Formats: sequence, C-alpha cells, structure tokens
Amino acid sequence: MTFAWLDKFQHDLEKDENYAAKTLAAYRLGMKAKGSIIGVAIKPAPNCCDAARNLPIDKVYHPDEAPQLPLPNCPQGRRCGCVYRPVMAYQQADKR
Amino acid sequence: MNSIAGVLSRVPLFRLYRRFGWPQMLPLNLTLSPSPKCNSRCLTCNIWMKRENELTLDEWDKVLASLGRAPYWFTISGGEPLMYPHVVELAQLAYEHCRPGVINIPTNAILPIIPDRVERIAKACPESQLIINLSLDGVGAKHDVIRGVPGNFKKLEQRLGQLLSLRKQLPNLTVGIHSVISVFSVGHLDELIAYADQSGADQFITEIAEPRVELDTIGLPITPSADAYSKAIDRLIVYVESKQFKGVSKITEALRIEYYKLVKRILEEQDQVIDCYAGWVSAQIYANGTVWPCCVRADDLGNLRDHHYDFKEIWFGDKIKEVRRSIAAKECHCPLANASYTNMLHDIPTLARVSAKVLRPSHGPSPERSEVLRHEI
Repeated sequence: MTFAWLDKFQHDLEKDENYAAKTLAAYRLGMKAKGSIIGVAIKPAPNCCDAARNLPIDKVYHPDEAPQLPLPNCPQGRRCGCVYRPVMAYQQADKR
Repeated sequence: MNSIAGVLSRVPLFRLYRRFGWPQMLPLNLTLSPSPKCNSRCLTCNIWMKRENELTLDEWDKVLASLGRAPYWFTISGGEPLMYPHVVELAQLAYEHCRPGVINIPTNAILPIIPDRVERIAKACPESQLIINLSLDGVGAKHDVIRGVPGNFKKLEQRLGQLLSLRKQLPNLTVGIHSVISVFSVGHLDELIAYADQSGADQFITEIAEPRVELDTIGLPITPSADAYSKAIDRLIVYVESKQFKGVSKITEALRIEYYKLVKRILEEQDQVIDCYAGWVSAQIYANGTVWPCCVRADDLGNLRDHHYDFKEIWFGDKIKEVRRSIAAKECHCPLANASYTNMLHDIPTLARVSAKVLRPSHGPSPERSEVLRHEI
C-alpha cells in the first residue's frame, strides 16, 4: 500500500472531542452538494474493542446512520484508533 | 525585501537548527489556508466539505505580525483561495508585515471575479512576485469530470486569457498551469503538456496526487502506481529538457526536474529519501488557527487562538518537539511539492546537481530534435 505509514498515523491520532459530529457533518454536506462521496465507512483499529470488531465489514453508511466514534464504552476514549473514511463513487465502480 | 540570497544564507542555519535545535529560526515557507470552502468537487480532494471557525482578518493581522520578516514564500491555499472574500486583504497583511519574495496562489479558475482579485493583490504587493497557478487536470471534458464541475475547462480558458492580458501591465505577476497527476490524469499527461506548451503560461508544474489528512483522502486510491507515474513523468522530463531556459527559469526548471525524480524515488523506495524540513523551514496555518508542520500529517501543533496569536509560542514551544523527532526519525515520507522544494534547497547533493546544470552552457537539443519531441508529446 502506498504511504502505509499515513494509514497507521491516522489511526494513532488522538481524536478531537467533536470528531464524529464534525466528520459526519462534512460527509453529509458532501453528499448534499453532489460530490463524488456516496457514504462513510468505518475502519476499525487493529487493537479495537469488541464492539468495533463486530461492526459489519465494509458497510457503507449514510452519515446520518453511521455509529458515533469512539463507540460507546470504548475503553480507549479519544485514543480510540477507529476512523471514518469517506466512500467515493469511483471506489464502488472499481469493485463492480 | 526578502531575497533569494537571504534564503540561501539561511540554509546552513536551518540545517543546524534541524540537527541540534539551535539557532531557533522561524519558517521561511508558510502556507496560509484561510478557508476550506471550495466550489470544485475534485475526485482527489474532500476539503471542500469541511466547515471551520475561521480566523478573522484581525486575527490574521496579529498572527502575521508575529512572524516578522522571516517568511520568504507564502502560499495562500484553500479550498479555493480566490473565493475567500478577504483574500486581497490577507495577501496585503502578509505583504505589510513580512515583505515576502513570493506570494503563490493556486486557483480553480472558476469565478469571474478572479482576475480582479489577482490584479488587486499584485498592485497591493508590488515588490513580491505573485504567482497564480491555474489548476488543469485534463483537456476539455476530462478536466470537468475530474474537477466535478461542468464547464470548468471553458472557464479556465477564459481566466487564463484574462490573466495573461493582466500580466502585460503587472510586472510582478506570473501565470502558471498546475496539474495534479492522479490515477485519473496520469494517462493523459501528454495532452496536458501539449496544452500548457501552447497556452502562453509562464510555467507548467505538476504534483502527484497523494493522501493527506488535510484533504481527508487517506485510504483513497488516487495516487498512480510508481510505474505509471514514472513512465508519465519521464515524458515530462524529456519535454522540459528539450526546452532552453535562461536566468531564474533555468534554476526553477532544474529544481523541477529534481523534484520529479525525487517523487519517483519516494514512490519506489517508500522512504523520505532526502531530509524533510517541514516543522523547521516550512509550516501551514489552517483556517481555524491550528499550526501544522505540513498538510499531509496535519499534526496539531497548537492553535494560535490559544497562544495570543503569536506564532513563536507554538514554533518554539514543547508540543512541536515530538513531531520534529518523528519527522527527523523518518516516520513519515511523502512527495508533497511545497515541502519537497524546500527540502531540496537544504540537500547538498541536490543543490550541487542543480548548480552544475545551471552553470553548464545550455546547448539543449537541436531545434529539429526539440520539434520532434514536441510532436511526440
């Protein structure tokens, strides 16, 4: 993977208090404004909690329906390494 | 006035600063991002979706005052910087406080108000070189698809014509074309080169699409493979080398070729390749006042609102030390153009190669050979 360090780096970043609200608001706006974004996915951290591990793999959520990160009761709090990732139309086209 | 000689005289000091933490120096290359708002919908960027509690002009005034005459190179970035309603005043503040040698502004060329704003900036900052780079990712409909705005290419051609006319009356204005080489555009780089060649623009520059925290593009498949990039960029290198440059252009084009070769190596080796000076020589101030070493990592070094708008409090504070350790330990690598050009200025082998190239009498290929190369492209 190109720039694999950056993927790990992002997982390791401490989250802002309003990480979920701010990120999902951006994606909501992106979809409303007809960008290439079609939804949001959750990439669990390698050391994530059981609840994160049990999330459906590769599920694409509407920002209104995506689980809030950190998940409730996550023992790592703002150090939770799970992240949101925008899902773009061209990624879905590639999968077909 | 900040001069290139002044920049070069600081190179050994920055090398000492990076290695030993002394002498403490403010950055000479600073990117200001007053707003993430943008009217493009590029496939390679998601910054336009963000909304921030943006610094006001009064706040920018205090921040820029705290920098003094240290910065030589300002980039006003975005979002779409020329859509930011106070961009003229922001450039003017940077000029009044810092007297930079260069103010560089990329633009998507969409809004009709762009030439007026460019003219006002150029006139307000008469002793700085103002570089306006128009983003071009394809010719015709390809551009509109990648940028997500129908009719964008036609507007780009209009703005380019308007800016080239302005250039005749504004000696400090440089008009360039800037292309992002992504998986979406790598296959038609030749068309971009050909377009830029006949466009009348002063320069054609490219940058590889890369994931960035700033753009929320981590994990997106936008970066071309090392092989695809290498094949495409080799054609660009051949093209640049087929042309004859004089004076400052000879230096900038030699640096550009070094940059393209550096990117190839970074992609192949997945390593920093040359020392990165982001966090020492270059930095970025994001719309909400957060200081970053660069837009790829976007480490939160502190918010200027919490530090009396004094850049020095953050730059010479404690929080930045761990980030500098991480960068120096090569825990990151990337081909970010803005930082890379600064890094190359601080890399002795690169400087030696550029100097040798500049000092060598320029023979270049014969006119016939140049014509063949242009035809091939």
